Amino acid sequence: MSTLQKVAALDYQTSASIRRRRLTGKIITYVVLTIAGLIFAFPLFWTMSSSLQTWQELRSFKPHLLPAVPQWHNYVEVFTVVPYARWMFNSFLIVLITIPGTILTATLTAYAFARFDFIGKNVWFTLMLGTMMIPRTVTLIPQYLLFFNLGLINTYVPLTIGSWLGGGAFMIFLLRQFIMSIPHDLDEAAIIDGAGPFRVLWSVLMPLMRPALTTVAILTFLGEWNDFFGPFIYLNRMELFTAAVGLRFFQYLPLEGTDPRDHLLMAAAAIMTIPVLILFAAAQRYFVSGVVMTGLKV
Amino acid sequence: MTDLFNPAKATSIRLPKLRMSRAKKRENLYGYLFLSPWLIGFFGLFLGPGLASLYLSLTQYDVLSPPQFIGLENYVRMFTEDDLFFPSLGRTFYYAGLSVPLGVLGSLFLAIFLNTGIRGITGYRTLFFMPSLVPIVASVVMWRWLLNADFGIINQALSAIGIDPPGWFSDRRWAIPSLIMMSLWQTVGGVQMIIFLAGLQNIPESLYDAAAIDGANSWQRIRYVTIPMLTPTIFFNTVLGIIGAMQTFVAAFVATEGGPGFATWFFSLHIWKQSFDYWNMGYGSALAWFFAVVIVLLTIAQLRLSKHWVFYYGG
Repeated sequence: MSTLQKVAALDYQTSASIRRRRLTGKIITYVVLTIAGLIFAFPLFWTMSSSLQTWQELRSFKPHLLPAVPQWHNYVEVFTVVPYARWMFNSFLIVLITIPGTILTATLTAYAFARFDFIGKNVWFTLMLGTMMIPRTVTLIPQYLLFFNLGLINTYVPLTIGSWLGGGAFMIFLLRQFIMSIPHDLDEAAIIDGAGPFRVLWSVLMPLMRPALTTVAILTFLGEWNDFFGPFIYLNRMELFTAAVGLRFFQYLPLEGTDPRDHLLMAAAAIMTIPVLILFAAAQRYFVSGVVMTGLKV
Repeated sequence: MTDLFNPAKATSIRLPKLRMSRAKKRENLYGYLFLSPWLIGFFGLFLGPGLASLYLSLTQYDVLSPPQFIGLENYVRMFTEDDLFFPSLGRTFYYAGLSVPLGVLGSLFLAIFLNTGIRGITGYRTLFFMPSLVPIVASVVMWRWLLNADFGIINQALSAIGIDPPGWFSDRRWAIPSLIMMSLWQTVGGVQMIIFLAGLQNIPESLYDAAAIDGANSWQRIRYVTIPMLTPTIFFNTVLGIIGAMQTFVAAFVATEGGPGFATWFFSLHIWKQSFDYWNMGYGSALAWFFAVVIVLLTIAQLRLSKHWVFYYGG
């Protein structure tokens, strides 16, 4: 064998071993990811399956992975056992009040921090970020007493007013970062054309901020939909409950001689999750971009 | 001297220095105008209530009669008379101390596997992300059924392979581990993992090339390039994770109401119970302030410690 042939053979051997190693790497990766995926998916699958079984099926000592006959009427029954439709509606109502509030006031605050050079700006900005670190319980008691004395317990005011007063430090910070990434020249061009600060915000910045504002709207939806503590503290009339508080109420509702309700609870949990999943399916990229925008710039 | 008393001259000399230019005035005017909704909220919903609860923490207050000033008595009481104080604090640390590191490691692990450039990443990423979308109350309802002592699928599976299964949420020793399992299911594939993925994609390829030339194998590339480059992201996720985990309320409250036998009685449940069930608003405020100080100190400690292990590339 000539030297050249030897080198070629050697080269072929090494590249074959590299290819083999890459293949094993790939297989391991797929195996790990698939096992993890199954672990993550199983509770969701089990919820769906349980929600479509009869309670006798669920309480038999041999578990049924799938219902013998899917009991779709379980999903209807939830709404007759508890006022779940009303609770879902209430949750939607709160979301509909808080999203415009957050978009409007968080944008204004972010605009002030990103584009205006006013006295005390750094102090306010630091204080705003500081509010993120302080646990909610510190302000909760006086807030509760305040709303109690104003006669606002069992209204949605305590749950929504914050969204109309800045919408929270996190949202402001996210929007401020976004505005700072928009070139200042665009503002200046509009100012030269005679635009005032409101015009600049409305006609120049807001259209460019649409992705960030979508993210803010989605995060507000998730936050309000998920919120348990606020509605739990401020609402004690059943017809005012949100889906989160209502679902817990349903879970602890005594049976009083009725059949076990695990299948209905699973259906109720699924019903409460569906709007979030629909939103995610419709606007997946905004979930991810919002996270990356805030997560990596701190 | 005389000029000082001559208003015309005095103003002409001094005021231009003191007076803001028109542009500056405008900046201040509009700055504060746009800031005003948040400022109202800051004073009305944050600073005002914060100071009020600081005052209440020095009083005895049961809502029915006006608050009575009792000095630091509430703070003394929590350390000396409150039997649930140290246990609930300890449980909170136990929960945060296990769930946060495990969650961060899990997210990092999955992100590294997702970032290997294989096909089908989007599908896997979506699959991992789904549990984090489930509202927390719904998630508790699901897991209580999954971990049901008698009819839960997990215990039926464990019994089938001959393991005597624990009672999970109804077992004092297993209640917190059950909550940790549930929280891992929700956090490992969620936001944290997405942040790690973004962090991984920001690592310059040239560093891996350099490592390859030095003969590094894939483990060494992870150990000496990926991990150091990701330390700022690990730090960010850990700090936020601990602030959140320390304040855990909903999961424990909805799953077990702090039980069985106070097994999941976390500090935030203790604050809630004292304030809104026993209506000890003064004592509750003191507990809340103590807890806020603990969380702030924990965060500061982590910032200090981070100088020893967080690596900022090019910074």
